[in-house]
Amino acid sequence: MRHLVGIDVGGTFTDFVAFDPQTQKLDVWKTLSTPKDPIEGILSGLENYDANAIEAVDHLRLGTTIATNAILERKGSVVAYVTTRGFRDVPFIQRGKRKSHYDLTWIKSKPLAKRRYCFEIGGRITARGEEYEPLDENEIKTLARTIANDPNIKAIAVCLLFSYVNPIHERRVADIFSNECPDKPVSISYSVLPKWKEYERASTTIADAYIRPLVSHHIGRVEEQFTKKGIGKRVAVIKSNGGEMSLDAAKNAPIQMTLSGPTGGVVGAKHISSLVGVEHLVTLDMGGTSTDVSTVVSGRESFTTSFEIEFGVPIQIPMIDIRTMGAGGGSLAWIDKGGMLRVGPQSAGAQPGPACYDQGGNEATVTDANVVLGRISPSNFLGGSMQLNQEVANQAIGKIAESINKNIDQTALAIVQIANNNMIGALRSVLTERGLDPRDFTLLGFGGAGPVHVSDLMYHSGIPSGIIPNHPGQFSAFGFTMTDARIDLERTTQMTSKAFNRDHANKVIKELSQEAVESLNLQGHKGEINLYRSLEMRYFGQNHELEVPISFDEFNDITILSGWEQFHQAHRDRFNFDIPGEIIELISVKLTAVAVTERPDLPTITKGHDKPEPVGSRLVTFDEGKLETRIYQRDQLKMGHSLEGPVVIEEPASVTVVRPEQKVLVDEYGHLLLGKIASTNR
Amino acid sequence: MDMVTMNIIESAMVAICREMGVNVQKTAYSTIFSEAEDFTCALASPEGEMIAVAEYCPAQIGGVPLLVRSMVKEISLSNIKKGDVIVHNDPYRGGLHTPEHTMFKPIFVDDELMGFAVTIGHFVEVGGMVPGGFPGEATEIFHEGVRIPPVKIIKEGKDVPEVWKLLLANVRTPRGNYGDLRAMISAVDLGESRLVDLIKKYGKKTFRTTIIDLMDYSESRMRSEISSIPDGRYEFEDGLEDDGIEDKEYTIKVTVFVQGDEVVIDYTGSSPQAKGPINATLGVAYSASFNAMLNLTDESIPKNSGCFRPIRVIAPAGTIMNVNYPGSEVGGNTETHPLIVACIFGALSKAAPNRVMASEGTTHGCFVFGGWDEDNDQPFGAFDFTYVGYGGRDFADGNDATDSINGNCANTPTEVFETRFPWIVEEYALRQDSEGAGQHRGGLSISKTMLCTGGDMLISQMTNKHKKQAWGLFNGQDGISGATLYQASGQNNWQTISEAFGKVSPSKYSNVPVKPGDRVSVKAPGGGGFGDPSKRDPKAVVEDVLEGFISSEKATIDYGYEKKWINKYGDTSGIVDKKHVND
Repeated sequence: MRHLVGIDVGGTFTDFVAFDPQTQKLDVWKTLSTPKDPIEGILSGLENYDANAIEAVDHLRLGTTIATNAILERKGSVVAYVTTRGFRDVPFIQRGKRKSHYDLTWIKSKPLAKRRYCFEIGGRITARGEEYEPLDENEIKTLARTIANDPNIKAIAVCLLFSYVNPIHERRVADIFSNECPDKPVSISYSVLPKWKEYERASTTIADAYIRPLVSHHIGRVEEQFTKKGIGKRVAVIKSNGGEMSLDAAKNAPIQMTLSGPTGGVVGAKHISSLVGVEHLVTLDMGGTSTDVSTVVSGRESFTTSFEIEFGVPIQIPMIDIRTMGAGGGSLAWIDKGGMLRVGPQSAGAQPGPACYDQGGNEATVTDANVVLGRISPSNFLGGSMQLNQEVANQAIGKIAESINKNIDQTALAIVQIANNNMIGALRSVLTERGLDPRDFTLLGFGGAGPVHVSDLMYHSGIPSGIIPNHPGQFSAFGFTMTDARIDLERTTQMTSKAFNRDHANKVIKELSQEAVESLNLQGHKGEINLYRSLEMRYFGQNHELEVPISFDEFNDITILSGWEQFHQAHRDRFNFDIPGEIIELISVKLTAVAVTERPDLPTITKGHDKPEPVGSRLVTFDEGKLETRIYQRDQLKMGHSLEGPVVIEEPASVTVVRPEQKVLVDEYGHLLLGKIASTNR
Repeated sequence: MDMVTMNIIESAMVAICREMGVNVQKTAYSTIFSEAEDFTCALASPEGEMIAVAEYCPAQIGGVPLLVRSMVKEISLSNIKKGDVIVHNDPYRGGLHTPEHTMFKPIFVDDELMGFAVTIGHFVEVGGMVPGGFPGEATEIFHEGVRIPPVKIIKEGKDVPEVWKLLLANVRTPRGNYGDLRAMISAVDLGESRLVDLIKKYGKKTFRTTIIDLMDYSESRMRSEISSIPDGRYEFEDGLEDDGIEDKEYTIKVTVFVQGDEVVIDYTGSSPQAKGPINATLGVAYSASFNAMLNLTDESIPKNSGCFRPIRVIAPAGTIMNVNYPGSEVGGNTETHPLIVACIFGALSKAAPNRVMASEGTTHGCFVFGGWDEDNDQPFGAFDFTYVGYGGRDFADGNDATDSINGNCANTPTEVFETRFPWIVEEYALRQDSEGAGQHRGGLSISKTMLCTGGDMLISQMTNKHKKQAWGLFNGQDGISGATLYQASGQNNWQTISEAFGKVSPSKYSNVPVKPGDRVSVKAPGGGGFGDPSKRDPKAVVEDVLEGFISSEKATIDYGYEKKWINKYGDTSGIVDKKHVND
């Protein structure tokens, strides 16, 4: 195995993690991003890598926010949307809900296509998949020519009613368009998301068409530049499901890149879960403006298919279920009209940043509070490369303190407590709201600010153990070096336990398996491919499904019964009741195919036979009060070293703060294990 | 007052309510709460004060305090035991209308009653004269389905089989109702266990003082919001076009007195109660008044009973604002509620023009149908609603196709609708030109046209504004009325339900038979405009014409539009502009 590089292109920085399997050396660095043309930042970053090593880079994986930003900033292409007669307004009507109850200022989002470019065609498939009205080929050809002749239109999205049951009309329409307007790419809903509920499917298909020209261009640039420089035999991009896909596959399914960047942390977490031997992890990726949380349950990531990139614009391809909340180091503290102290979601951002950055900001942020509390050292921030101004932080917090009539320390502590409480809300949303017990979990904290808060969050949310990985500031890029090639497919296959069409269900399972395996083969994965199947089911009459994994690949007399029984059991486990004897409805068949790729063995560190020596001590304020606290340098800690809070462990891109009485243990890879896991792993 | 502990306990309680809601939504059978979120989860104090609530259905939120107080009036606190669950739906005991069922579960810590977990949900089937719960021609509460006074459905953790049997014997879809009841019970169970954990963490004493502080805090926030509205007496009136029984209008008259940091909302002068089911219960009068005030004030105020203290509601008994027993009332919650809210906005438009909107369509469109489900050999009932246009505002157009303000329900997708029910939907579209013109125009409503494909069905409806219109404000024009049209199999002409079936009202009717090949088209009313149409930005006029939201003919009449405006003002790039700033 030759060198492997993971690259995470973020808004401010591009992170690099490179692994050399010969020396088992992991290199970590970052450069400034170049938002105008991201490839520039990537290339200049790679130049920082050892010149000889560049030659040796074999496999390069790229996480990018280009698709996300194109949609969020509405910088995609003009799309023609083609749908069943009577339904062109579905993307405008949406689901009819307001974003919140009591906000008369709310303005409904617009879809990604203009209504003047939404077209209707005749032809109709019924809910049972039968043709009710045939297509009118002449009508479609005429429309195709109109679209071909309109220079504004750059891409086409087709979503016809009930195509998930029978795609024959959609496929025919796509053929006609490909013939009549070969220069304009066509996205069809059956390929993008063969799932019922026309608005969500339409929205996802339109988004796919909307970003297709841009993504193709970007991927094309990557290919061209890398080939020119001779970098990387195999270049891949990261999908929203955390897996990688080839550049060709990305051009054909751009929507799969919607949530590319943030998935790295979760994939990295999954790796750590097996390495450290922890079954259930909850991840906390806290940066300057926002925090992402997600879970790894029984060693597997959690997925969602109900993502909305903004309210009213759903993109429902399978992706890692990452919840983002507006709480980060830069979140502002403020006093509401009733005198209550609040924190975020407004942020000081990168410019001017927290007051203590001394770049002109004078409003109190969470980072300022951490500086006042002594948790972050002004002289050792980002490994000393940035000097923080303690005095400005004091002034900013002081202003808030006056208005709530507390002293500066109490106020800083309250700011941190409220920010923590906001994050506890996010943790609840991925744990208790999904029926998961925090007491079974370990909190993995990363991002620049994550390690500062992990210890408090464990304590207040009832999560007994915590882990701080190596290089917490570049953990997402690290995750990319650990990922597999992965395809998630789903097809709505609605039927009930009372009227179960076994042959049809078996046909769907078979087709999905074939499609996934062929696609992975095409991307060059010829080795072992693991298939995982599951069924989305519910009691007949309910409207939300439970996903039940199945171990069989074919329905027969025995497996059908076990499938129903598994559903009753899953319902009991999740909701504390079941309805024995009730009709069960199968909604979708899901299939995941994973081609396992080679991954690096992490380097281990040397065993420490002595006691670790602190590099100093200072007063740090905790919930319990102001305590004299020992300070350690992370790179001086060795395997087996154990500490007890209150301690602060500093490293170049982050600081780990440990509450009084909490235990810390350093494992063989250099991970910091906190709390219960530190006592049991000794 | 410890503001930090308060902030933390408040958000933890709201998270509990949200989590209860997830349980209800994922397990319920009625699409109206599983898909449309027509339910609410709340926590209440033993005294019946709502202490926290999650954002699900607005009509129900304001109803929670009265529901809890009515319940404990009938079942004394000393008779409430750990593990009990109480069910209730009676509109004459604090309820909103018969479809709305409420579950209460007491929360004990060390044998001491600390509060209640509460879930309210809208059941599609409740018995009564029509399948689907909305008999447009009901004249007594008894026509509107089974009445359930507060009774224990679970005693100390054990099902009470007599109650279950009685409830399920009186509805057409016992299987579905069983599932809905179980879903709600699982939510209050969860609420109980989570709140017990929270109280144990902070201690009973801290918890108690904190919730008192919290309600005081919300009260003070609401008072300061009201203070910012100029003192005065503001009147407004609007009417329901008929009650389904008699062809005459019913007036809602509201007088809003703002004095300092308090407001009195007085409905004296409203019409005597109607024979048909458009009456508001006292619960609806409160709930709608609170809904309006929450919309006019800062959204970030924590929602609890404290918010409502500076608001007095006067709803004279025997009027359509506070129906006397045994009047019918099912539409009070869906039609009268949004009209009440609109009237309060209308009244306060004189005091705070920049906070209100012109009238929305003010109807939930409640179209219900039922028949025999051949595939599963059982009766079925279904509830479908249509989206109205919202009113224009001082700073923006009214939103198109949005649920009326009493609800915040998601639609049933056509692919789900046709899979479940014997209809083919032929059109689900925005109604071009349905909006009222204005500097900021009203929103467009929707039109849904369906072809019956199955066996015989009965349809019923409870809607409004087929004769009246959503009004504009400040020279903004009125929106266009709604309509429900019927086309018999093999015929070409469309008729109103009154014309086709001799019903008194085109918008409120019960048990109209439809057979395969018949078509029904339900069209909702559009929203009223805000401000003089002559002040509308020509760019916005051209954009509406290019997008087909408004015809060039109507644009010419309303705005003096001419074709040459396209070259002058039109953006013909086809690029979707950047999303709005406050999304």
